[in-house]
Amino acid sequence: MSRIFVTGIGIISPLGDTLSLNHTALKKGVCSISTLELIHSNFTGKLPVGEIKIETRTFKEKLKVKESGFTRNSLLALHAFIDAVNDSKLSTEEIASYDTALIGANSVGGMCLTDELYKDANSKSEASEYLSSYDGGSVTLAMQERYGMRGIIDTINTACSSSANSIMYGARLIQNGLAKRAIVGGSDSLAKYTINGFNSLYILSDEICRPFDSERKGLNLAEGAAFLVLESEETVGNKKVYAELTGYCNANDAFHPSSLSENADGPFLAMQGALQKANLQPNQIDFINTHGTATENNDEAESVAMIRLFEKVPAFASTKSNTGHTLGAAGAIEAVYCILNLTEQEVYQSLHYKNPIPKTGLVPVTAYTKMPINHVLSNSFGFGGNCSSLIFSKA
Amino acid sequence: MSMFYIHQTVCVSAQKTNGVIDLDDIQPIKDNKLQAIEPNYDSIPPAMYRRMGRAVRLASGAALPLLNTLTFNGIVMGTANGGLEDCIKFLNQIVDYNEGKLTPTNFVQSTTNAIASQLAFFSANKGYNNTHVHRGLAFENAALDVGMMLNEFPDNSYLLGGIDEISAYQYNIESLANMYKKEVILNTELYNSKTTGCIPGDGCSMFAVNKQKTGATAKLKAIGTLHTDKEEDVAQYLKHFMEKNLGDNSLNLFLSGENGDSRYLPYYNACKKIVPNVTIEGFKHLCGEYATASSFALWLACYKIKSNNLKNVLIYNNFRGKQHSFMLVESVF
Repeated sequence: MSRIFVTGIGIISPLGDTLSLNHTALKKGVCSISTLELIHSNFTGKLPVGEIKIETRTFKEKLKVKESGFTRNSLLALHAFIDAVNDSKLSTEEIASYDTALIGANSVGGMCLTDELYKDANSKSEASEYLSSYDGGSVTLAMQERYGMRGIIDTINTACSSSANSIMYGARLIQNGLAKRAIVGGSDSLAKYTINGFNSLYILSDEICRPFDSERKGLNLAEGAAFLVLESEETVGNKKVYAELTGYCNANDAFHPSSLSENADGPFLAMQGALQKANLQPNQIDFINTHGTATENNDEAESVAMIRLFEKVPAFASTKSNTGHTLGAAGAIEAVYCILNLTEQEVYQSLHYKNPIPKTGLVPVTAYTKMPINHVLSNSFGFGGNCSSLIFSKA
Repeated sequence: MSMFYIHQTVCVSAQKTNGVIDLDDIQPIKDNKLQAIEPNYDSIPPAMYRRMGRAVRLASGAALPLLNTLTFNGIVMGTANGGLEDCIKFLNQIVDYNEGKLTPTNFVQSTTNAIASQLAFFSANKGYNNTHVHRGLAFENAALDVGMMLNEFPDNSYLLGGIDEISAYQYNIESLANMYKKEVILNTELYNSKTTGCIPGDGCSMFAVNKQKTGATAKLKAIGTLHTDKEEDVAQYLKHFMEKNLGDNSLNLFLSGENGDSRYLPYYNACKKIVPNVTIEGFKHLCGEYATASSFALWLACYKIKSNNLKNVLIYNNFRGKQHSFMLVESVF
C-alpha cells in the first residue's frame, strides 16, 4: 500500500489563525482559554472556553463569502482549507480533479445557529437563510461547491474523534487507489447547543481545564478547524513534505454512550491497532498527544490504556490545556501539533498540571523540551465509545 | 475497486419489507409521509427502549436480528441527520428552559454516531465503528468505507447500514425549504406528478457483507459518486461507469431514484438515455425521499435479483440535484 505524506497544513484555533501563530503559542506555553464573549447565552462572560475572538461577519469579509447560508462552522473550515491547499500549492484544477478527495468532519454542523434552528424547526417564523445549513454535510458541501470539487467527498461525525477518522478515511482512499490526494480534516464552532449539552452531563469545568491533574474538574469547550493535504508517494514528487502518516486505527469501547470503560479497551485497541498498522513497537513511540480532555473519566481511562500498552509510558501532553476541546476539529488540530513535534523536534508543555492522578500516577510533559522525535501518536476519543489513534512519523 | 458480497439483509420501511415481504400490497402515505413501519423491539430492554429516539430505535430494530445471529468485525452507518428529533427536543429544552438545568438524554441520543455506537454496545463489538453523515451520499460513503476495509481484511465481515428518520421538526425545516409537495397525492401516482417537491419518507436498511461468494444474496459490484448540478456531467459519469463495470454484460433493471419532483427529473432522463432498452422502475413511491434512501434501493436490488432471477441491476439516485450516486448490483450465479 502506498505511503501517505502530508504536503499542506491549514489551521485556525484559539491559539491563532496560522500555522506559525499556533507554533509560537505552543512554544511559549500560551493558554487561550477565556470567558465566552461572542455567543449570546446565559454563559456569556462566565464560562471558560477556547473562543476565536473574531466575529463571524469579519470571517465572511476576509474569506469573501457572498453565498447565503454560510455558518461560522463552514467559515472556520474554509479558512483552514484555503491555507492547506495554498500551502500544498494545489492548483484550482488539481483541487477540482476527480483524483482529489475532500473529507470533512464535524460534530455540530450548522447547529452553531442554535436560535435560528429553533425557529425553523418549530416553524415559528419566516424561513431563515440557513435551512440547508444545519446538517454536518453542509460544512463540507460549502467547500465542495466553492471549488467545484469532483472527487470523492464525505463528511464524518464520530463526535470528538470525527476528524481523526476523516484523516484515516482520506488516507485509505489513496491507498485503495480511489484518490491521488485527499484534503482531510475537520471543524467545529462553539454553540449554545454543545455548551448546554456538555453542561447537562456535568463535564464542563468552571475553571481553566487541568488535563491529567488529580484535581481536574472537566473540560473547556473550544472552536477551530484544521485541514491537511495528504498525497501518495507517487503523487508527491519534489514537494515539501511535513510528515508521513504511518499508522491509524479506529475501535469502539462498546461500554457507555458518554464515558469510557474502566479497562479502557477502546483507547487501548485504537493505540495498539495504530502501532500494528505502522509496524512499530510501543517503545518506538517518542511522544503522545493525548485526548486529555481533563474530564474525570477520560484522563483516568486514557492513562489506564497507556499503562496497559506501554511498558514505559512515553512523554505525553494534552494541547487541550492550550486550546480547550475543539470537538470534531480536535483530531485534525492535534494532528497538526504532532506534525510540529516532528518537524521542530520538540514537545510542548501540558499546562495547569500539578499532581498526578492517584490511581495511575502518570506525569505529563511540563516544560518545553527539545528532543529527538521520530514517531508521534495522537489520540481522539468520542462519545459513543468511538476511539481513534493516528501515528505520524518523521518524513 | 472491487466491493463485496451481500449476505443477510433487513429492511425497515413504510412497506412490507420486514418479516413477510409483500411489495404488491403497496402501503399508502399517511399525513403526506411514508414513515417506516416500526419493527419488533422485543429484544431491547424496556429501560433502554424508552430513551431511544426514532432513528436509534429503527436502526436497532433492523440490526438486532443480524447482530444476534452473526459476528461482525465492525459497524459502519450512513445517516445524514441521525437523531434529529432528539436534537430539536434538546434544543427546545435550551430555549424553553432558558439554558437551565437540562436532562442530557436527548443530547446524547442526538449525536449522529449514537446509532452505530448503540449497535456496538448491543453486541459488545469493539471493532471498527464509523458514521458517515454526508447528506445524500452518507450511505454510499459508508459502503465505500466497508469496501475498503474488506480489501484490507478480506476474511472480515461488516454490518453496513443506511438510516434516516422523518420527524415533525425535519418536516418543518424541509417544508420551509420547499422540498415537499404542498398538494396531497397518492404515492402510487408519484411519477405522474408534474409539480416540485417530493413525499418525505424514512427507514433503515441493514446489510451483512463480506468477501465470501458462498451463500451470498448478491454482489455490490461497483459504486460511484459525483457532486455536480450539470446533467451532462452525470450522463458522462454514468457512461464511463457502465463501460468500466458492466462491460459487455446486459443490464436487466434500472432502479431510478426519481422522486416526483420536477426539478430533478432531467438528471434521471439523462441517465435513461445512457442505458436504453432496459426496464426502469422507481422506488421512492415505496420508501419516500430521504438522504439515505439509496440504502432502500440497494435492499430492493438484492430482493429483485433473488426473487426475479435478474443478473445486473443499476441504481441511480440523486439528492436534490447535487449529489449523485450509482450502484451496480449483480447476482452471484
